[in-house]
Amino acid sequence: MKQIVHTFGDVTVLNGVNFHVQPGEVHALLGMNGAGKSTLMNILAGVLQPVSGTIEIDGKTHTFSSPKDAKRAGIGHVVQEVDAALFPALSVYENILAEQIVEQKHMFFSKTKKRTFVSQLLERVGLAHLSPDTTVQTCTLHEKQLILLARVLSSSARYIILDEPTASLSEEETKRLFTMIEQLKTQGVSFIYISHKLHEVKRICDRMTILRDGSVVYEGDVSLATEDIVRHMVGRQPEVRNARARNISKETIFEVKQLYIPKTKTTVDLAVRRGEIVGIAGLVGAGKTELAESMIAYVKTTGERIMQGKKQTWASPKEAIEAGVCLIPEERRKQGLFMNETVEKNLTVRLLSTIAPWQWIRKRHERAIATNLVSSLHIRPSSPTALVKHLSGGNQQKVVIGKWLQTNSDVFIFDEPTKGIDVHAKEEVFSIIRALAEKGKAIIYFTSECQELLHIADTIYVMVDGQFVKKVDALEATYEQLVYDMTGGGTN
Amino acid sequence: MKFLYKYGTILAIVIVIAFFSLTLDSFFTYANFSDILRSISIVTLVAIGITFSLIVDGFDLSVGSTVSLATIASASALVLHRQELLVALVVPLLLGALVGLLNAFFIIRLRLPDLLATLAVMYIINGVQLTYTKGFSIYNDMPLPEGGVAPGKFIPSFLFIGQGELFGVPFSVLLMLLLVISAHLFLTYTKTGRLFYMTGENREAAHLTGIPVNRYRTYAYMISGLFAALGGIVLASRIGTGQVSAGASLLMDGVAAAFIGFSVFGIGKPNVIGTLLGSIFIGVLLNGLTMMNVPYYAQDIVKGALLIFALALSHMVKK
Repeated sequence: MKQIVHTFGDVTVLNGVNFHVQPGEVHALLGMNGAGKSTLMNILAGVLQPVSGTIEIDGKTHTFSSPKDAKRAGIGHVVQEVDAALFPALSVYENILAEQIVEQKHMFFSKTKKRTFVSQLLERVGLAHLSPDTTVQTCTLHEKQLILLARVLSSSARYIILDEPTASLSEEETKRLFTMIEQLKTQGVSFIYISHKLHEVKRICDRMTILRDGSVVYEGDVSLATEDIVRHMVGRQPEVRNARARNISKETIFEVKQLYIPKTKTTVDLAVRRGEIVGIAGLVGAGKTELAESMIAYVKTTGERIMQGKKQTWASPKEAIEAGVCLIPEERRKQGLFMNETVEKNLTVRLLSTIAPWQWIRKRHERAIATNLVSSLHIRPSSPTALVKHLSGGNQQKVVIGKWLQTNSDVFIFDEPTKGIDVHAKEEVFSIIRALAEKGKAIIYFTSECQELLHIADTIYVMVDGQFVKKVDALEATYEQLVYDMTGGGTN
Repeated sequence: MKFLYKYGTILAIVIVIAFFSLTLDSFFTYANFSDILRSISIVTLVAIGITFSLIVDGFDLSVGSTVSLATIASASALVLHRQELLVALVVPLLLGALVGLLNAFFIIRLRLPDLLATLAVMYIINGVQLTYTKGFSIYNDMPLPEGGVAPGKFIPSFLFIGQGELFGVPFSVLLMLLLVISAHLFLTYTKTGRLFYMTGENREAAHLTGIPVNRYRTYAYMISGLFAALGGIVLASRIGTGQVSAGASLLMDGVAAAFIGFSVFGIGKPNVIGTLLGSIFIGVLLNGLTMMNVPYYAQDIVKGALLIFALALSHMVKK
């Protein structure tokens, strides 16, 4: 790919990118979120058309106007969300041949004719044990990924994009995937490997390209020291520091011991004090959301939860909330808001027992509370009767937080609270969180954006594969070190 | 266009009334309107129940058969067992609540899809009332299989519910209005009513906000069963016999009324006032068509078309 330029509106996301992959190599594509990796790969896969620049394969220039063109030219894409690309109720056989079945001219297709072809493909991806008649929904995630890979190979792809292939794989499955990649490599297939896990990149990849802000900042060997890779990815960042003027009490208010996270099959210990903002940094798939949901008993789990020294036996979020722990969830539209209701009804849903002590809702009282919250949180439009679905992402987030502000909650768990909101709203969310801490509330803040933690947290934990690998005082942490730890630099 | 969303339903009712008044001589009379209201009082009760199940984002198809069951239960208590008014009211209501509890168990505990679970329950309950009566209606002085005639009869106090009048207004209409108003006040102005809506709006968010969603969903199905049973009592009293499968046709009318109610005033949510207007709409339409000598079997076509129309409208309002 030569001199690729791409823009979304006024924003240039790719600024003359050159990207070369040799036949039979595994080439890592690295960069922070927003560096332009996905855009570049979408252009290569024919999903997006570049503003300028060319794609050459074996010396021949191609123009891809659709994903179909890219497939014909030998580009295969194994997406991160494998379930979105598969037909769960159909057999492995049909899933692998999906594209051929769509393309073929006649109406019927013979199962026996292509049987050997499918078996060969399954063998190539290391799924020889799997019967082609199995329905895909009974397969494991790892198998689904390989089935998708087999589909890509069925149309004789020679350049295969793997997008975060190990994000939800176990250690053993990752190993098997790597063996398979090695085998296909010897057959002349090239891979473009996108991942945040740097130790894996070093293990499997031959060369790498690092993107930062839409430009290539490094291209070459993977033997580069991890610290240097991180430096290239991060670049020079303005150091925004949290001037801590708060008193953090000595009193531990909420604590979990040996709390089991079902998805990652790990246990976690964590304690948070009054007035403290504990930040938890981890990549997507590190188990942050699962830990947050385990804390408030949203998922069934084992382990101890201790509130102000007393052991708790919560069976549902209701009990956690009544004890003073609340969650501001990551998926705010799906989990946090009543989209078709008014701002007022969303804000007062936890306050109904004060607004309606004898069942009867005192509307004037409710309106007063809502108006007060709307103005103190600067929610726009500033009308309590606006429907939440008409608000911007940032204002919606303020509504989700506002719901808890006047309750008796002592512990606030934030899961990626700045996801999808603009810079201004981010600052507002930060100041709300700081104000809460100043009032003696305890905050647990989950994010994959570690700059935010340097900005707001007092103590930072780094989470990798469901476990804390590091605990550090925010004043001593550096951005590069956090990225290094988060991407598994320390666990090699 | 916005005006049409908001007042379209009301406009349609006015147009239909105007049309029938102009074409039919005896339509726009007090007697006929009292007749229409009397006939919709049962449908409205059933439709309020359905509205409750819709509010918690559920669905209850079993209401029609619950009406039948309640009708039979009332008749049986009075005619076969010679019981007094209280028993003839309490037994069907308890049965209705029980059906609701059964629905809730299948939907919430066993996680069956609401449409299919209540469809199955609809068949079961229908079978139960047919088995109990062996397919025969229950009426005054009916001959018993073991010889002789039934000991009891439909007592006047029971018949008053469906046939009596207070201040020249049918009692069943007053009962309907009273329940519409109470249900409306409950859903709009009380804490529990608010939480019913929140549960239906976004169950996951409600759960994470500490609302006991399964409890409210159970209540909603039980209320649905209770209202259907009440409809059955009024129906038994109105016709003065315990007719088998009497409630079967009420399901469709009730569902249509509740969905027409969605779009009234452009609210886009199930609501009781809308449901009342929906059932008035259907009542007026059916009454007029009957007077125009459209046979009852052809009226099903109108009802079906009306439901499609209401669904399309509520879908548009939602957007």
